[in-house]
Amino acid sequence: MNIDRNSLQRLAAYAIFCIAILSVPLFVSDAYLLNKFARYIIFGILSLALSLSWGYTGILNLGQAASFGLGSYCMAMALKLRTIPIQTGASGLPDFMVWNNVEKLPWFWEPFHSYTFAVFAGVAVPVALAYLIAWFVFRARVNGVYVAIITLAMLVVINLIIIDQQRFTGGFNGITDLTTLSVFGVDFDAYSPALYYLAAVTLTACLFLGLALMNSKTGLILQAIRDDETRVWYFGYDVAAYQTFIFCVSGGVAGFAGMLYTLVMEFASPTFLSVPISLSIVIWCAVGGRASLLGAALGAIVVTGVQGTLSETPAFLDTWSLIMGALFIIIVLFLPNGLVSLVDVFKGKRQSVATRLVKPVAESEAQRVAASQQNSVT
Amino acid sequence: MTAVISQISVGLSIASILLLVALGLAIIYGTMGVINLAHGEFVMLGAYSVWFLQSTFGLNLIACLPIVFALVGVAGLLIEWLLIRHLYTRPLDTILATWGVGVILQQAIRLSAGAELRYVKMPDFLTNAVHFGSYEESAYRIFIFVIAMALLIITYLMIFHTEYGMRLRAVTQNRDIARCFGINAGRIYSLTFAYGAGLAGIAGALVSPLKSVAPDMGTNYVVDAFLVVVLGGVQSLLGTIASSYLIGQASGALAFLTNDTMAKAIVFLGVVLLIRLFPQGLFAMRVRRS
Amino acid sequence: MADEAFLKLQDIAVEFGGFRAVNGLNLDVKRGELRCLIGPNGAGKTTALDVICGKVKPKAGRMVLKGRDITKLPDYKIARAGVGRKFQVPSFFRELTVRDNLEVAYCKRLGVFANIARFRRSAESDGLEKLAELVGLQDFLDHTAGYLSHGQTQALEIALLLAQDSDLILMDEPTAGMTTAETMHTAKILNALRGRHTLIVVEHDMAFVREISDVITVMHQGKVLAEGHATDIQSNQSVKDAYLGSGGISHA
Repeated sequence: MNIDRNSLQRLAAYAIFCIAILSVPLFVSDAYLLNKFARYIIFGILSLALSLSWGYTGILNLGQAASFGLGSYCMAMALKLRTIPIQTGASGLPDFMVWNNVEKLPWFWEPFHSYTFAVFAGVAVPVALAYLIAWFVFRARVNGVYVAIITLAMLVVINLIIIDQQRFTGGFNGITDLTTLSVFGVDFDAYSPALYYLAAVTLTACLFLGLALMNSKTGLILQAIRDDETRVWYFGYDVAAYQTFIFCVSGGVAGFAGMLYTLVMEFASPTFLSVPISLSIVIWCAVGGRASLLGAALGAIVVTGVQGTLSETPAFLDTWSLIMGALFIIIVLFLPNGLVSLVDVFKGKRQSVATRLVKPVAESEAQRVAASQQNSVT
Repeated sequence: MTAVISQISVGLSIASILLLVALGLAIIYGTMGVINLAHGEFVMLGAYSVWFLQSTFGLNLIACLPIVFALVGVAGLLIEWLLIRHLYTRPLDTILATWGVGVILQQAIRLSAGAELRYVKMPDFLTNAVHFGSYEESAYRIFIFVIAMALLIITYLMIFHTEYGMRLRAVTQNRDIARCFGINAGRIYSLTFAYGAGLAGIAGALVSPLKSVAPDMGTNYVVDAFLVVVLGGVQSLLGTIASSYLIGQASGALAFLTNDTMAKAIVFLGVVLLIRLFPQGLFAMRVRRS
Repeated sequence: MADEAFLKLQDIAVEFGGFRAVNGLNLDVKRGELRCLIGPNGAGKTTALDVICGKVKPKAGRMVLKGRDITKLPDYKIARAGVGRKFQVPSFFRELTVRDNLEVAYCKRLGVFANIARFRRSAESDGLEKLAELVGLQDFLDHTAGYLSHGQTQALEIALLLAQDSDLILMDEPTAGMTTAETMHTAKILNALRGRHTLIVVEHDMAFVREISDVITVMHQGKVLAEGHATDIQSNQSVKDAYLGSGGISHA
């Protein structure tokens, strides 16, 4: 296996980034800040997850927040069951269940008494959901645009169900008043360096594992699928299997990020499973660079970081959303491969970044549009 | 029996609104391959326009309808001209760009008109019930159905019996060849986008007295409308109509039997299942691909 | 047994919304043969290729490859059975390098998990570099495929087919847009492939067809009009009427 100069530079960039985020607690001791940074890192993981399926494979998952939210609820359920003796004590039921006159712990809550199960479920449930959707849409070779719509619809439905079934899920308010996760002798308090390290290590692992995956032949085939899905079938590859694989991996990573998020926020709520969050993930990924794991992660960290350092009043948030929407549109129009594509400019590539990167994308998309229009009803 | 009829009529009025929203969406997607995720915001703009016209000028809802069509249509025209036309070669990116537009529209309304719920008055003569024998139906629901049917017929006539419609169909089938024949594809696209937006605006205007007007009311409609388009098959007017009514009726009936949320979930599952069997939609035809 | 048809199409019919694009096509291709498929536009030549590679499902008829009935198989399983196709429209991976394109086409192992363990720059890469040399792209291995010229992309697509190394290779107008020199180069490649591979080539360039073909099949209105060697076809009156004109095979 020979590594060329480009790959070495990229490895170096990834390594520098990871060392940087891992060293933050050495310089920052303010617990509140650490908690904030941990949040940004988790968003970075989420954005990376989307990049895997979108930037590399061309699957636009508008419902990524569903995987994120399901993971967070799994962790919240496990933590809630350990909180009971302290907060409610009424026959071992979470407080919101008591308020809703639930008599017995529902069967699907029972296994969450075990942390092992909860962590497993936090990844497995989103993966299972992803597998289910994938089986339906990729096998049927539903076109990419419809897949995007279906993932969005799925998110909306799950969000509604969670709010609706408030007897079992805490409804609108979510699952609150959680204890601290305490395993292997470590207290992962929301404001502790331990939790920050957990997040940072997770991001580091995801970055390098993701890079390894994308540099394998499987990763290459995924990118070929993004460029011309139909052509890849004719080589004999089971394209649907590849798409399902990355869709599930993406879901699993997002689920894990969700679990970390519950630890950081100390609650789980339907807002984690919402369209605005999904939109944010897409924006972070697009702004940073959808076809780059580091770019996607950086996009999330930079955008949420800037948002966090400016004010946090509701009026500001509305203006901020306006600005984000506008920025998003500008990126989509002029810099579709995100801010990391500017790196190529600094490397002195001959052609201007916008035309260099827009052209192949535009042409292959144009062909796909032409092909699908030829394929539709006339 | 009365319950069944009532059920059907509720389903019909849900479907009519859905049809108006989906029609605009389907026309836009079918013609230009543009996924307009801001379509829900066009519905929202229609509702807010009525509220604004009513509170400022005291206009009756019915008088508002043509004005709303024009206002939202112009908004659509502007958006197409400024943004959409640069993205025809990148369909997945139009999803993103229009989503961004939707966010901007929502926030703009929130910042200007405020985030509180607003209320629109129904025209007085429609607030009563109409009697069919022993059965009573809300006059307004009938009105919605009538308007939807009228617009459907107008749309049909426009697409199949006018010069513009012929050019539209030419451009849909093969844009480059149509342009070789002197058809101004860009203008067709602009007008089409504006028309689709206008339809959505009317849908919003019609629904505004029934539900309160809020900046985020559009999201629900856009997802439902897209499911209609996905199910019905693109470029098929019949498909859009049929799946609007299928989904509308199913939603209404299921909501009656269970609740709104479960109805949505089941309808969604149904669409996904049907898509598995008919990936091109229920009404797509087989054509030789090059 | 050696004479048993490598690929056999029996009464294949394909319909698009009532229109019969292929109407009772019978084809018998022997192993190692280079068959050219010619005919006027709309004769059903491309549709015939579509059926063989599984892009389109026939309404009626049967297809047998190497003794195995492949009529109902999906496209990727037909590809695994040994069929490779070059399409009319450019179909390669624009954002990948030429080298990476060839890597994808080198598809001996197909599973998701099998391929995770393999680096994209594999041990077989050297073989792929020789392939690039064969089509004249050795200097462009690290270039993004989306920036190749038209002739170069045609060369790339041929290289992809070579990398795929299918037993049966289907080509749809491989020389479209090529210069004379490039066309002759392609003819040399195809001639070299014959024997170890079986080829079916749809073409309009008659000089090219004469250069490469064993047997020519002329299609018209969805079925076979005539079949034979170049001289037989040239003198066939019905072929002249339908397609070649009075000038014969060199003037079509």
